[in-house]
Amino acid sequence: MSGWHVDEGLLADYDRGTLPPSRVLAVDTHLLACASCREQVRVDPVWLTGNWSVVFDALHEPRSGPLHRFLRRLGLPEHRIRLIAATPALRWSWLGATATVLALAVAAAYLGRGGMQVSNAVLLVVAPVLPVLAVATAYGPPADPMHEITDTTPAAGPALVLWRATTVVTVAVVMGVVAAVLLPGPGWYAVAWLLPALLLSVGTLALSTVIALPAAAGVLGGIWLAGVGTAVTIHRDSSLPLVFGRTAQLGYLFAAMTAVVVLTVRRRRLDPGETR
Amino acid sequence: MNTVSIDGLGKRYGATPALDGLDLELGTGVTGFLGPNGAGKTTLLRCLATALAPDRGRLRILGLDPAVPAQRTELRRRIGYLPQNPGLYPQFTAYDLLDYVAVLKELTDGRRRRAEVRRVLDEVDLTDRARTKVRKLSGGMRQRLGLALALLGQPALLILDEPTVGIDPEQRMLFRALISRVGESHTVLLSTHQTEDVGALCERVVVMNAGRAAFDGTPRQLINRADGRVWLSTTAPTGSQPYWRNADGLYRRLGDRPDDGRPAQPTLEDGYLLLLHRSAPARVAR
Repeated sequence: MSGWHVDEGLLADYDRGTLPPSRVLAVDTHLLACASCREQVRVDPVWLTGNWSVVFDALHEPRSGPLHRFLRRLGLPEHRIRLIAATPALRWSWLGATATVLALAVAAAYLGRGGMQVSNAVLLVVAPVLPVLAVATAYGPPADPMHEITDTTPAAGPALVLWRATTVVTVAVVMGVVAAVLLPGPGWYAVAWLLPALLLSVGTLALSTVIALPAAAGVLGGIWLAGVGTAVTIHRDSSLPLVFGRTAQLGYLFAAMTAVVVLTVRRRRLDPGETR
Repeated sequence: MNTVSIDGLGKRYGATPALDGLDLELGTGVTGFLGPNGAGKTTLLRCLATALAPDRGRLRILGLDPAVPAQRTELRRRIGYLPQNPGLYPQFTAYDLLDYVAVLKELTDGRRRRAEVRRVLDEVDLTDRARTKVRKLSGGMRQRLGLALALLGQPALLILDEPTVGIDPEQRMLFRALISRVGESHTVLLSTHQTEDVGALCERVVVMNAGRAAFDGTPRQLINRADGRVWLSTTAPTGSQPYWRNADGLYRRLGDRPDDGRPAQPTLEDGYLLLLHRSAPARVAR
């Protein structure tokens, strides 16, 4: 530290912010090295706390990856993006959920094409529910070490399961599409089994901005059962292609995209429980 | 005013009763739960934290019934829970983990959430470890981080299951200071095996045994139960009387006066051991 100190007039101008930038830099440099001059600087504690908070958050906040930026462009609220981004961060649960969902889709496609007509109706009924159950299990007690804390938060419950299911099934659909394009064989059929699950998850979340979540799940589940019932009744032997055929797949995709739009437009209604 | 009303609470694991018709009324301040392993402390705290549904009985917490889904969700907004094994994600940084749990606790406004994360980090003295991954934190720091998670959202009811296990005396002091500060205005329920923690922190102590409250009163009242029943002697007892050998070579004996016994100042631990010895003598270890 030098024997020179900033004089009072210069320090007052520095405090007021009326110094030219070059002199501010010079005073800053001196203040970094001189504790006695630092003590003379008058600091507004509110301003200092505010600035410290901004610096602290900038240093510690999780970095925004491409997924984060993409979801932000879609208009999803920041806290929802944090929740979705954390879904793959719980690695074992993520791995287990994704692998199980893909395995279910492949198994369902195989069974559906194998001419096992007896199981058709059962397969059709449970197709959209199985992936959601798989995700709920993968993020449950055996795989998630923090389940006890998570389960006692207000976010715990069907909504959290559906957000996670939407994330996992979306990734599984993308993986299935890539595999279907790159690999020989009827891979599209496996993807087709995942679309109703995606629709169930994202559709229920979208509908829950209008009615209560259990009711939303009931409405969509009822529509699915009615559709399956009609298909099985009218086309007993060819109900599978009807429910999972190209036209139906396009319908699911369109409906899922509509649900995403509804979810985006009505996103402020997603947190009716927020009281703080 | 009572924050927690427990009426005939029962919970079984198979044929084993963990809670057996428990009745309690708990209010503001720090209440400590003591008891041997398997006494039902953790089961009770898990029921109160809404992690576990009881088989029978009624709970009323902060005026809400956790058996009703909508009230359970509202209740979860107002409680903070640190389980015995919090299982914190090792790959998260302290800041990330707090931010994630804050989202789960419905702190949806980004600026307020970050301010809350900074506040609890500061409360548990982990601000300088905000960027450290959980797997690189010491055991005591992880416990403090667990406590910070429970403190998020300034809960009206704080439920802590053995929060001071495995931490050094200095960190335990920090815990005590923090918990006692929270207990001034909120309800804190604390399960522990450390009678020193109960003596230092709690206005009220409940000793659990076999799923029931074997004692409910102040720490002083529990100590008083050992008045005239703690002795220093040169000989070890021959029966099932609890005792241990002090560093100075004398036997500290609880119960009836030995022939050469001279009275000793009773402690909370003496009162606790005598209470349990009376209800289940074979379970008191020498």
